[in-house]
Amino acid sequence: MQLARRPRPQALISLVPMIDVMLILLVFFMVTSSYLNLDMIPALRPVDEAVSSDGSAQRRLMIRLDATGTPHLRTQALSSETLDHLLRHSLALDPKTQLMILPSGAAPTQALISLMDLAASTGVKNMRVLQLEARP
Amino acid sequence: MKLKQNRRTVPTETIIALIDVVFFLLVFFMLIGRMDATAPFEVTPPQAQTGRDMPTGGITLAISQSGRLALDGDALPKSEISPALAKALAKDPALRLRINAHRSADLRHVLPHVSLAEALGFLDVVLVVTPETSAGVGK
Repeated sequence: MQLARRPRPQALISLVPMIDVMLILLVFFMVTSSYLNLDMIPALRPVDEAVSSDGSAQRRLMIRLDATGTPHLRTQALSSETLDHLLRHSLALDPKTQLMILPSGAAPTQALISLMDLAASTGVKNMRVLQLEARP
Repeated sequence: MKLKQNRRTVPTETIIALIDVVFFLLVFFMLIGRMDATAPFEVTPPQAQTGRDMPTGGITLAISQSGRLALDGDALPKSEISPALAKALAKDPALRLRINAHRSADLRHVLPHVSLAEALGFLDVVLVVTPETSAGVGK
């Protein structure tokens, strides 16, 4: 009599632990991560970028930021519209106009960034932030 | 004649699709996120529309509204910032310094660190901004 041999059952790799691990990793990343949309503004520029290549005299515009963050030209407070107009007018006269910003130490960071943002949007490429305060 | 009834096979729920979805979500979160040390205090970066995309790499100096400092997530007193920056720069002379200052922080807490970085020899110093008008808390 010939005995029929039972076919050996195929060994199965259980996927359940892998799913468990992946779910735990997924939940970990979703819970611990905070996603922020961050950009950057250069604070230091290489020297050759900031200085005009031909060394010609540049038009300079000095804007002072007071403690409340309001920009001033000489003694006159400037609104965003006035400042925008002023910067565009200066750039029309001299595209290499240098904007010098003299901020008060008590001015909020947002005020300086807003001013730099406005200047960049009008096309100012040459900006310098001056400081009167001592180093820490 | 009695017909033999076929045993109904129990339909197995395929879990392959679930694994695929979970795996894609996992890869998605791992790819779009950049792991960065968070500051031990609240920092909401200033808002700007003309900021450039933030490249990876570098160290982050976080400055709170009251002027507290943290370097790559570790709170440090003001006196230890300069040696820590110098040490980091010695390891990598092309190191980028990201200054992540709270939007309401006084500039007297922020600008001296730009000068300090310049004096130490940092060539690449950037201010962290956000294009969002109501940024989440970057804690």
